[in-house]
Amino acid sequence: MASLEMTARLWWILWKDLVSECRARRAWPAMLLLGIVVAFTFAGQMDLPPDEQKRVAGGLVWLAIFLAGMLALERSFASERENGCWQGLRLCPVSSHAVYLAKLAVNVVALAALQGVLIPLFVVLSGVPLLAHPAAMLLVAALGNVALAAAGTLLGALTAGSRNTAHLLPLLLLPMAVPAVLAAAEATRLAMDGQFGAPWRQWTELLAAFAVLFTTIGIMLFDFVIEE
Amino acid sequence: MHARSGSLRRRCRSIGHAAVVAMLLVALAAAFLVAPTERTMGDAQRIVYLHVADAWVGLAGALVMAAAGAAYLVRRNLRWDHWAQAAAELGWLGATLTLVTGSLWAHAAWNVWWTWDPRLTTALILWALYSGCLLLRGGVDDPHRRARLGAVLAIAGAADLPLVVMATRWFRGMHPAAPAMEPSMRAVLLASVLGFTALFALLLVLRRHQLELQRLVEELTESEKEMPC
Repeated sequence: MASLEMTARLWWILWKDLVSECRARRAWPAMLLLGIVVAFTFAGQMDLPPDEQKRVAGGLVWLAIFLAGMLALERSFASERENGCWQGLRLCPVSSHAVYLAKLAVNVVALAALQGVLIPLFVVLSGVPLLAHPAAMLLVAALGNVALAAAGTLLGALTAGSRNTAHLLPLLLLPMAVPAVLAAAEATRLAMDGQFGAPWRQWTELLAAFAVLFTTIGIMLFDFVIEE
Repeated sequence: MHARSGSLRRRCRSIGHAAVVAMLLVALAAAFLVAPTERTMGDAQRIVYLHVADAWVGLAGALVMAAAGAAYLVRRNLRWDHWAQAAAELGWLGATLTLVTGSLWAHAAWNVWWTWDPRLTTALILWALYSGCLLLRGGVDDPHRRARLGAVLAIAGAADLPLVVMATRWFRGMHPAAPAMEPSMRAVLLASVLGFTALFALLLVLRRHQLELQRLVEELTESEKEMPC
C-alpha cells in the first residue's frame, strides 16, 4: 500500500516536470539542438575507413549524448531553485527518495529522447552500423542512460546549491561518469561488431554496476542534499 | 598548571615535527644512497619512491575526506568538516604530484609525457574529483551547507576509488601493476611511503587546527559586530 502511494507521488512529480518542460520548453529543445550540432560536427570527423570508423564511433556517440544531456541534467534542479519552487518541492508530503527517483525518471526520459534522435542521426550521417544489433544497442543505451542520469541527478542537486551552478556540473560529472562513458563506448563498439563474448559482458556489467551504485548512493544521500 | 601543560604540548609538537622531518630526510637519503640504480631506466627510476608515496597520499586524502564527511553527516559538528576540508586540500596536492611525477616517469620509461593508460586515467579522474570538490566548497557560503554538500560529494567520489585501485586488474594497460623489485628497493619505497604518510598526518592536523582558528575568528568578528556600541 505504502509503495503504491509512493509510486503515485513519484508519478505526480514526474508528470509536473514533464508538463512544465512541455509548456516552458526550457531545457529539452536546447539539449536536442546541441546534440544535433555536436552529431554533425563529430560525423564530419568520421570520414575514415570502416574499421577505424567503428573504433571511434562508440566514443563519439556517447560523448555527444553526455555533452548535450548535461543541459537537461543541469536544468532539472536549477529550475526548482528559481521562483521558490524548491521550498514547494520540499513541503510536498513525499519522501526525499521519491523526489530523487522522480527527478531521475525525468532525466532518464530526457536522455532517452536525446538518444532516440542522436543514435539514428549518427547512422544516417556517418553510416556506422550502430543499429546492426538493435537489442544489444538498446540494452547498452538503457544502462548508459540510467548510469548518466543517476550520477547527473545527484550532482545536479548538489551543484544547484552552489553559486557557480552552471560551471560546476560538467566539472563534477565528467570525472565521476568517466567509467560509465568508457564502458558504454566500449560496449557499443563491441556490439557493432557482433562480439558478445566476455569483454562485452565485462563492460556491460561495469555499466550496470555504475548505474546501480549511483542510484543507491543517490537514494541514500539525497536527503542531505535537499536539506536547508 | 595550565602553563606547564601548554609548554608540554609545545614540546610534544616540536618532537613530532622533528620526527616527521627526520623520516623524510631518511627516505630521501635512502632513495639516493641506499636504493640500487635500476638497470634499464637508470636514475630516473628513483622517481618511483616519490610517485608511489604521492599516490598513496592522494588516495589517503580521499578516504579521510569521505570518512570525515560521513562523520559530519552523523554528528553535524563543523570540526569534522575541517578534517574533510584539510584532507581535500592535501589529497589534491598528492594527486597533482602523482600526475606530475607519473608524467616524468612516463617520459623516461615510455618516451611520452602522457598516455591514456587506465591507471593514469583514473589518477586524473581522482585529481579532477578533488578539484571539483574544492570548487564546490568555494561556491557555498553557509558553513553547514558547505559541509553537507562537500560530505555527499566526498562519499560519492569515494565510490570511484575502487576504480582507481582496481584499474590495472580490470583493464589491461601498460602501467606496471606490481613491479618486480629488489628487497632493498622495496625497503626504500616503504620508508618513503611512511615518511609521506607522517607528513600528510602532520599537515592534516596543522591545517585542521588553522581552519578551526579561522572559524573562531569569524565567530568573534560576527559577535563583535552584533554587540551594541
